[in-house]
Amino acid sequence: MARTPAPDIAIIGYAQSPSWRAAELTEPQFLFPVISEAIERAGIERREIDFTCAGSCDYLSGQTFAFVMNLEAVGAWPPISESHVEMDGAWALYEAWVRLQHGDVDTALVFGSGKSSPGVPAEIYPLQMDPYTITPLGADPVSIAALQARAMLDAGKITEREMAEIAARSRANAIGNPYAQVTGDFDVDELLAEPYHTAPLRKHDLPPISDGACAVVIATAAKAKEVCERPVWIRGIDHRIEVHQPGMRNLTESPSTRLAGQQAGVGDAPVDVAELCATFSHQEKILRAELGLGGDVEINPSGGALAANPVMAVGLARIAEAARQIAEHGKRRAVAHATSGQALQQNLVCVLEGD
Amino acid sequence: MGDALPTTTHIIEFPYTRTLGPVYSTFLTGLRDGRILGIRNRDGSILCPPTEWDPWTGDALDTSPAAFTEVGPGGTVETWAWVERPTRKHPFDHPFAFALIKLDGASTSLLHVVDAGAIDRMSTGMRVTARWKDDRIGHITDLAFVPEAS
Amino acid sequence: MSDKTASDKTANSKPAPGDTAPDPDAPVTGMDYFMQLEYHELLCPVVRRYAEKLRAGKLIGHRCPKCGLVYAPPRGYCPIDVVETTDADEVELANRGVVTNFTIVTPVQYYGQTKTEPFAKVSIQLDEPGGTLTLQDVLDCPVDDVRVGMRVEAVWAPPEERDTSQIGNRSWGSAEGCIKGWRPTGEPDLPADQFLQAAF
Repeated sequence: MARTPAPDIAIIGYAQSPSWRAAELTEPQFLFPVISEAIERAGIERREIDFTCAGSCDYLSGQTFAFVMNLEAVGAWPPISESHVEMDGAWALYEAWVRLQHGDVDTALVFGSGKSSPGVPAEIYPLQMDPYTITPLGADPVSIAALQARAMLDAGKITEREMAEIAARSRANAIGNPYAQVTGDFDVDELLAEPYHTAPLRKHDLPPISDGACAVVIATAAKAKEVCERPVWIRGIDHRIEVHQPGMRNLTESPSTRLAGQQAGVGDAPVDVAELCATFSHQEKILRAELGLGGDVEINPSGGALAANPVMAVGLARIAEAARQIAEHGKRRAVAHATSGQALQQNLVCVLEGD
Repeated sequence: MGDALPTTTHIIEFPYTRTLGPVYSTFLTGLRDGRILGIRNRDGSILCPPTEWDPWTGDALDTSPAAFTEVGPGGTVETWAWVERPTRKHPFDHPFAFALIKLDGASTSLLHVVDAGAIDRMSTGMRVTARWKDDRIGHITDLAFVPEAS
Repeated sequence: MSDKTASDKTANSKPAPGDTAPDPDAPVTGMDYFMQLEYHELLCPVVRRYAEKLRAGKLIGHRCPKCGLVYAPPRGYCPIDVVETTDADEVELANRGVVTNFTIVTPVQYYGQTKTEPFAKVSIQLDEPGGTLTLQDVLDCPVDDVRVGMRVEAVWAPPEERDTSQIGNRSWGSAEGCIKGWRPTGEPDLPADQFLQAAF
């Protein structure tokens, strides 16, 4: 498949809220400082933002048009040009990236947010599955992920020990992340001694339930160079989706991740660090394999989605964390990944580079 | 956060009646009649659950009755997961398995449930068979699967 | 309409007694699904205080320290100036105001609808210090008499009947359980040019 060269668009600002098990504040309230901080970090005025795109899910909030309330955190007066995706904020970033390529505008504000705490995620997400054959069975994300994990184990592609090691490493990395929720040093053998939650998954293989938000500001090259000391260039971004029915996929592979990675140009040069949105421990191994990330690549220094899973913001947060690695920690080239649907049905890959 | 903090409870309810179209109508009618049906893909493979299109190319499929063929009722478990604490939306109040089941005659697997009774009765590669409800209406829950040896 | 209980595992819709049994030979052409989701959300501190004041018979709002706009109920921020508002910005609101907008709803008997007769929902701009409450109920006033400019006053439930359990984190249904509705005061209508600026 031919690849079109990516235009020069950079991330110039980013911010996150902490991830809470149950936030006391409303979604607009905790979005508020995140958006302000991202804009401030970007070094631009709020009124300079040409386009705003948000990612969120009304089913999480339990209210139709909940996403409209979130715009109160943006300062949408005088009226602004904005859009919304019923997706993780990573896809809102994709839309904003496309928008900036029209050449008539320079900057965009992107954010993702969600409160998973008020609802019961296991009861909400079956509604996104085939309504005739899957929803009525109440097939929930953990059960579907468990099917994928069992398939990985049976194929000899992972062991339960490796899964626990991924969980332990993620929680240990998260100690240094002020936004993370599940952190600490855990002994792998002790983790493995815990009972199954939904066999073969144990609690540590699952993401936490989190409330949180993330915002990112992007700009075209001229603007980025004008306002930003260390712009983080989006060298490639692509997303692909697979067949819906889990029984029509090979759950031990992620061809959509592979293709999105190819289109985004992951393999064009060595990768220093990757932030992968593996919401279940075994998925990290699938993603690494499909993106061709070897043992020399640092994976999820933030702790990843196993340490904090603010659904609708978690994918955008991977992009923000990858950008941070370049802007603040001297890394040269990073990969960020976001996912949607169950068992890695839909995947977005973003390649970032510093100057 | 603590239990002392007040919460507000909000319940959303919507009753839906969905029309079915040619493929799901045939499939669910089959379930009502105690048969599991698959549909023939353009390459001759049998898709179960049936779709109106080739899932990989998007090509439209022939959806006339002749394109359907019975699969199962027995099949092989390709992968499984053990649900220890069912939610209100699961088909059972007691522990059970979700599984991808390759029904005899089908080329794809069906996501469904196995009422195995205990986790140690589940294994990849095991044989299962449909257990039909007496009172069927044409719904994916008209059946469940059980170990074939039971 | 058959009632779905939480323990109904299959979400099947069985014919109610007296219905004709479905034809066993006719194709199945429909599938019922009863969707139900429950949410238990922590009340944010701003709404907790608002509810506490409602139970005490007081309506409160927040006044933005920059633009002076009064938000009723308070949200904890001003969306125009993008500044946080706090207890320091709290103002006690008037119990009287003017209808600035209304709609007459003719109820369709969909699942969950309890009303059978047309009813009004109004926006009320409160007297000084201001603030606009939306989706309020009107009392002692035929639906056809509801009009923009009509002067109204709050009708509170007696203290022992006040209940804020339905007050959530969102602004809609904002005084439910404490203010039963708003009745016309009988005063002459307010001319439109006296409240147009804050109409919602």
